[in-house]
Amino acid sequence: MKKTDVIIIGGGPAGIEAAYDLARNDVQVFLFEKEDELFGHMNIAATLFPNFQDASEIRSLLLQKTKHNNIKIFKNTGVAKVHKDDKDWHVQTEKGEEYTAKAVLLASGFKTFDAKYKEELGYGIYKGVITSVEFEEMYKEGKILTPYEKKPQRIAFLNCVGSRDEKVGNHYCSRVCCINAVKLSIEAKKLLPDVEAYCFYMDIRMSGQFYEELYRKSQEDYNVNYIRGRISEVSPTIDNRLQIKCEDTLSQTPLKMSVDLLVLMIGIEASEGTSMIAKQVGINGEYSFAKSLSLHSADNKTKNEGFFLAGTCKRPLTMPETMADARAAALEIGYYLKGVPE
Amino acid sequence: MSKQYWKDYQSAVADDNYYYERSCIRQSFFTGSEEIFLKIVKDILKKDIVDDMNLHTCSGIGYYSGVVPLDTTMTVVARLFALMTEAGYKNFVPSCITSFGLVNEMVDMWHHFPEKLEEIKGYLKEATGKDFKMPENIAHPCDIIYKNRKALKDKMKYSLTNVRTGKPLKVVEHIGCHYAKIFPRHVKGGAEFPQVLVGMIEEWGGEVVDYPERRHCCGFGFSQYLVLANRGYSAANSKKKFESMQPFKPDFILTNCPGCNMFMDRWQYTIAETEGITYDDEKRGIPVLTYEELTGLLLGYNPWDLGLQVHQVQVEPLLEKMGIEYNPKDKYVGKTGKQLTEPEKPMNLKV
Amino acid sequence: MNCGVCTAICPAAEFYDYDPRDICNVLMSKDEEKIEDLLKGDKIWHCGQCLSCKTRCPRGNVPGLLVSLLREVSIRVGLFTESEEGRRQYAIKKTLGENIINSGYCVHVMHVKPHLHPEQGPVWKWYFDNAEEVADRQGGNYNKEGSGALRKINDVNLKDLRKIFEVTGGKDFYDHIDKLSKVKAVQLKKNITDNIDDNEYFYHVYRDKSQKQ
Repeated sequence: MKKTDVIIIGGGPAGIEAAYDLARNDVQVFLFEKEDELFGHMNIAATLFPNFQDASEIRSLLLQKTKHNNIKIFKNTGVAKVHKDDKDWHVQTEKGEEYTAKAVLLASGFKTFDAKYKEELGYGIYKGVITSVEFEEMYKEGKILTPYEKKPQRIAFLNCVGSRDEKVGNHYCSRVCCINAVKLSIEAKKLLPDVEAYCFYMDIRMSGQFYEELYRKSQEDYNVNYIRGRISEVSPTIDNRLQIKCEDTLSQTPLKMSVDLLVLMIGIEASEGTSMIAKQVGINGEYSFAKSLSLHSADNKTKNEGFFLAGTCKRPLTMPETMADARAAALEIGYYLKGVPE
Repeated sequence: MSKQYWKDYQSAVADDNYYYERSCIRQSFFTGSEEIFLKIVKDILKKDIVDDMNLHTCSGIGYYSGVVPLDTTMTVVARLFALMTEAGYKNFVPSCITSFGLVNEMVDMWHHFPEKLEEIKGYLKEATGKDFKMPENIAHPCDIIYKNRKALKDKMKYSLTNVRTGKPLKVVEHIGCHYAKIFPRHVKGGAEFPQVLVGMIEEWGGEVVDYPERRHCCGFGFSQYLVLANRGYSAANSKKKFESMQPFKPDFILTNCPGCNMFMDRWQYTIAETEGITYDDEKRGIPVLTYEELTGLLLGYNPWDLGLQVHQVQVEPLLEKMGIEYNPKDKYVGKTGKQLTEPEKPMNLKV
Repeated sequence: MNCGVCTAICPAAEFYDYDPRDICNVLMSKDEEKIEDLLKGDKIWHCGQCLSCKTRCPRGNVPGLLVSLLREVSIRVGLFTESEEGRRQYAIKKTLGENIINSGYCVHVMHVKPHLHPEQGPVWKWYFDNAEEVADRQGGNYNKEGSGALRKINDVNLKDLRKIFEVTGGKDFYDHIDKLSKVKAVQLKKNITDNIDDNEYFYHVYRDKSQKQ
């Protein structure tokens, strides 16, 4: 059977949540996921901000949802081409198979910024420079160690890597790195109470519920230090540490310190799938994200009839925002399929 | 600006037919370097390079020190290009790093502001009656040596090996700020990891030393050095670099900018005399070589013809490490064969 | 954005009371009083023009070149003599500036007089004292006609160079620096002449540093 009601491209949280809401409303769904595992970037998280929700619990919930009868999951199935004829949408997979649906939901998510583009920070060049993703993986294993297998004395977190930066072509803010850095710094202190943790920021954007409280907690209960200054460069020292240079802009002086680990809070970019498919159907927006019909009044629809968007294929979003967006998309698609007028 | 990996940044270097612009500082402090470069390009690489006697300063140091206004500097640069055009050349090769940065900056400005270009053309015509064309290629001589480093290696008598230990020499490479920092995307390796000297060192058998203050300015600072009162700034910056590189025990420092070379040589003397501190184990200082001097040495030229006697930090320990023969009696001989009286010896820096 | 990556790696920020980020803030504020303070003050003269700031700014700014601009403005509107650092431009004009017009070189061996440059060391003094022999040994053509390193730049070319300075206002800029420095010299009760050797004001702005820094 190659025909269904809705094809969802992307088996991350947005895709799964939308699939479930459609499924329990009697809609047939095919869900295509290009990787071997579902959940996308949710696989990386150990805990979720701001309340340290256990990520594996969320993954279990999502897994349960995928088991609904009306959802057929296709793993290892990347999408190569999407187009519409007079009536239906046609989706061709990378394996060459073609499927048809009345509506398509793009939930192809994001990718993280490749920190090698900021060579002055030494990622991939100097040991001890890691990304936020790699740090979270260390935390999951319960082992945060320097590249020389020792306990770190000092860890630095640098915000806005690949974001708010003309030099790499990404002028925008990635939304989640500020709160994530607060979370990671607390994780570091939980595992290693004696480690010195420093967050280097331009702004502390605590724009969600309980975020500001978590920031305060990180300072009061965990002694995380915050320095207002963007790290400008990283160099290796003779004793195998990293020397970082920034300006402490609040006291207006240049600052230099040695750290054992530097965690780069890498930004969010449109995934390869997102930019490719968005371009194919003519909805590629700024920075190759997918563009919705109207930010304020029709954020799940696109200019193409029957083509919908959910999640971070549009812009950087937090988990709760993604989930809410997915449910809204499902609702919108439901109306479309039933022919309910605007 | 879009993303690009630093490894993909390229310098565009013409193959031949070079129009050489001499550097005020390199001519003054490293006279032999310019001569050996011309000799290498003509006699060894068999390329065409012209040394036009009509050239003069680009006024770059005056511009960056704030005494020569922009329009004047632009027109002076325009005259250099006009002379190049008249000589029938299109590939501009400035020996000075300030000049290299300056002409790239001027060309870039003219590109973005064509009305300014017209204005400068007018000034040049009025002042000298000349017209000028933009160069097709602007490359620094170090880029030319880099481009031909493998061909030159085949002709080299020596390599960057410590003949006593058999190990590669440890080399600190120092890139002039105005080479890579103004237009990083036009330089191989960008501003963070410029490859031009790294390529020479590695090709010729040495080991590059990375240290925390590698990218830091040597401290010339234009107006900071030019007045006695501010020279402390200049010395302090070089001192910062020396302190940072000292634990890595480099055998010598290699530069592509004549100013940097001069400063890193002289400030070691000044610091030794005022504070008693040197940055090597024998109180002799770390020798600082220009890339032209290094190329010439490895090819087997007489160190004193290359001008190494004009360095304050003595190079003999390094020559001995490399197994390079030299004649001490020839060191202070002048052009006419006259044996000149030797320079005075410093109190602290061992000579 | 006030991120501070420029100040982080600025050599002048480390050694002087200088903050390129702050200079950009003042310019952005368009506060004429604050900008005038900049033009009258020491800060803008501390930059060493290394342009390390250009490589890093995430907004594509270049504090180093903005400072160049402020310096030119400060000189043109006559405020450079109000600051200790700004007054030093006279010394630079008298040495480097005049070198350019007189000889066609910014710097030539003959200009780097050991008594004005003690930090150059005894080997330099030796070179200076034996310039022609040592320069020509290395292949130079010291102060002689024709081509080659350290040659004498001939009058045809010097004439063009001087004309360029006249036509583009470079000469006027030099004269302006001289004129305003003369006024300041009178105020500071220091003798000022047209050359360097017996010029008290020259040595004052070249050599003296007050303790406040």
